[in-house]
Amino acid sequence: MTPDILDETVEVWFGPQHVSAHGWATKLKLVGDFIVECDPHAGYFHRSAEKCLEYRNFRQGSPILERLCMLEAFLAEYPYISAVEQIAGLVVPERAKVLRTIMMEASRIHSYQFWWGQLSAEMGFFAMTLWPWVDREFFLDTFEELTGVRHSPHFSTPGGLRFDFTEKVLAKLEKAIQVLEYNMPKFEDMLMKSPLFRMRTEGVGQYSAKEALRWGLSGPNIKACGIPMDLRKDQPDPNLAYDMVDWEVPILEHPDHPGESDAYDRMVQRFNEVKTSVDIIKQLIPQIPDGPIIDPKARAKANRLPEGEAYGRVEGARGITSLWLKTLEKAQTPYRAKIRGPCFHSYYALKHLVPSARFADFIVIFGSLDPYPGWWDR
Amino acid sequence: MTGGAVLQFEWFVDWLRGLPQWVFNIIEVIRGIIYGIYDWLWVVINLLWTLVIDNIFFLFKAVIFPGLIFVVMGLIFFVWFTRKLWGRIQMRRGPMHMGKYGGVQLFADAIKLISKEIIIPDKAHRWAYRFLPSLLLVVVLVPFAFIPWDTVWFIADLSVSLVLVFAFLAAVPVIALLAGWISGSKYSLIGGFRAANNQFAAEIPMIMSSVGPAMLAGSLSIMGIALAQSSVWFIFLLPINFATFLTASIISVGVFPFDAPVADSEIIFGWRTEFSGVYFTLTYFAEFAEQMLYSALMVTFFFGGFYGVPWLPGAVNFIIKFLIMLFVFVTVSSSFHRLRQDQIVRYCWKYLLPLSMLNVIIAMLAIVYVPGLALLLVGG
Amino acid sequence: MGFLRNLGEVFTILKHIFRQIFKRPFTSLYPFEDRPYPERTRGRHIHVRQNCTACAQCVRACPVLAIRIDKADKMYEKDAALYFDYTRCIFCGLCVDACRFDALYHTPIVDMAEGEREDLIYGPEKITTLDREPLEWRGRRFR
Repeated sequence: MTPDILDETVEVWFGPQHVSAHGWATKLKLVGDFIVECDPHAGYFHRSAEKCLEYRNFRQGSPILERLCMLEAFLAEYPYISAVEQIAGLVVPERAKVLRTIMMEASRIHSYQFWWGQLSAEMGFFAMTLWPWVDREFFLDTFEELTGVRHSPHFSTPGGLRFDFTEKVLAKLEKAIQVLEYNMPKFEDMLMKSPLFRMRTEGVGQYSAKEALRWGLSGPNIKACGIPMDLRKDQPDPNLAYDMVDWEVPILEHPDHPGESDAYDRMVQRFNEVKTSVDIIKQLIPQIPDGPIIDPKARAKANRLPEGEAYGRVEGARGITSLWLKTLEKAQTPYRAKIRGPCFHSYYALKHLVPSARFADFIVIFGSLDPYPGWWDR
Repeated sequence: MTGGAVLQFEWFVDWLRGLPQWVFNIIEVIRGIIYGIYDWLWVVINLLWTLVIDNIFFLFKAVIFPGLIFVVMGLIFFVWFTRKLWGRIQMRRGPMHMGKYGGVQLFADAIKLISKEIIIPDKAHRWAYRFLPSLLLVVVLVPFAFIPWDTVWFIADLSVSLVLVFAFLAAVPVIALLAGWISGSKYSLIGGFRAANNQFAAEIPMIMSSVGPAMLAGSLSIMGIALAQSSVWFIFLLPINFATFLTASIISVGVFPFDAPVADSEIIFGWRTEFSGVYFTLTYFAEFAEQMLYSALMVTFFFGGFYGVPWLPGAVNFIIKFLIMLFVFVTVSSSFHRLRQDQIVRYCWKYLLPLSMLNVIIAMLAIVYVPGLALLLVGG
Repeated sequence: MGFLRNLGEVFTILKHIFRQIFKRPFTSLYPFEDRPYPERTRGRHIHVRQNCTACAQCVRACPVLAIRIDKADKMYEKDAALYFDYTRCIFCGLCVDACRFDALYHTPIVDMAEGEREDLIYGPEKITTLDREPLEWRGRRFR
């Protein structure tokens, strides 16, 4: 009897030297064109961020956190700041709260803009790659005007902010949002309505809400299943200004498969997220109060922290981003910091999602979950 | 004792006396050989020269104007044009530093690529690895001989040149498959099979689309098809066939919306992954040459070939339309997301093939039942 | 109908692409034309030695140990020499925040590429001044 071709598996490493695998590697087993086994490997991007945090004091920690995910830097640094504020008992001024929220939403938008381009590049449409990135430049200009650098802004500090808004920053932010809103219909034509994009993504990487909860997915990946799980609404942070705004958690209920989401739904969900973020920023800009941006005693208080534990968390662009911090008595540095990145879970969800998909769909499923290697190799 | 010594000495003197004659004889023989070669060469050169003089026009065509040098210069221009256009579509500037508007950027790139080290993988078949890229470029460049740039400016014309061109083009994915096979890499192998898959999807719709012009012209020669469009271009009679031919040619070349064979985010560079240095350059040029070839075929089949503005030379008309077609080709091929390879096959067999046949049938019925149409086509 | 709608959407995308071709490119000609940097740009530092008091707060604030201080090297009454290691610096701005004597500032100079690693360690003679040799390449001057 001749051996069946389906009995033989081919092992393909989708990884570290692959052009679209920037800092990760996955071992795939193929039968014909179908993937039967997927083994995600973490660790190619490891920079021991948690250990680094133990050797920095509480003001020096947030630059490390930003480098885990450059795209959502304002969001990524916040859990650490929040945990330090909780332990030190710092009160953040009103103005700092609002400005922090505005910049976090701007960072979220800029992350999704990058993601549109990234997904399009993974699917070979390089015009759509560059167009959102051009719009993203306006947000980066805003960040540069505000903090002095385009990436890794190091904006928040325990007890407040390091940089204040000026007229120029507001003008640039408004221009960035204007450009975004002007170009959004074009991107919807290019992505949501494009028949070739729909052919490629509909029904690919489909999972139900139950599975998503079991795998620990969060953020847009689970909101696309129709579950309004959002930390901004569920557990309002006292140091953020989401309660000043009237907004709804954006969810997506697909008429054909309610409670499930495929790659296309996740893309549509991210459009909804951007619209919500724009709405929040637009409502917050007139409400910016006057006053100081930092508690004058915050610097002294953050020098030495009392013994305590705190869990800082924020709804990041890719899901729940959180950090557990433990300090000892009169601590200058943390005793232990544990980062919970959102993408570790979405990366390992590939293990269940990818088998039975085609080889060409692997990168689409990967891209639709929007993982960033910094979050699983911290 | 002495007698023997004298004899020996005399023999030696005789030998010395004979020596000049011997040297002279050798020189004579060599002179005869040289004269013989010279005479033979003279005859051959004369023959060749008469051949050249008799066929000077053909040689000029084959080497310079519609031939090798023109096509290679066009290729260099087209690579620059594509990159500039991609840059404009992506809000970039494209090549701009080398020369005016980046015009000689390609030479810089080619020098860089050629001077790079050639790394042949251990598992690769060395002979085929060295041979296949050049073969690919040759196979893609040969069909340019059948493109009618003008009624005078063409290299060759056969009564079945249409079939011959498609025969050459069918060899391209075979070479791609072989290249993927002999590279000794899994990604290359997958890419090679995807290239074969693309051709499997696109070849039949493409040939069905070219049946329409061939039937209307009543000729399988590309020159005949171009000549048949003196009164009306076939784009007005076969618009759907043009669309299907354009799509099928994009699929067959394997550029952007249908670039599953070289999809860089899935399989690193498809069947070209392991090629390096000059071999990569050759395969890269072959892709662009194939795009040029399809654009020229489209101009010939649907846009009236060298007919156009009456007071311009035919070749100028052709080249203007050719540039517009290149523009359309690049624009269409840079504005969609990539399809999966099974979707390409489904798309081609479900939509493209029926559409191309539908238009042929409509044209057939029109010729039969509309009496003026046949006269119009003939040029009456 | 679905086929026709898809066709319409395909032509919408082609329309967007076609319009884009005739628009101006967004890229700036970077080394030939400089982009304007905002006031707060965190570029390379400048050290004002007249104001410096050698308190070493900047050295303490640095999270990446990029600053080295040499208190023996005095030019004025109570200043010190600073050595900035730009292979380590992450431009977080904490040293500038820590300085209470207006002795350390960021400048909007961000193009600091060098051919040698050692050239990126800015000693006291380089960190106190903004002058530098102009870069020439193929007869064109940058900066």
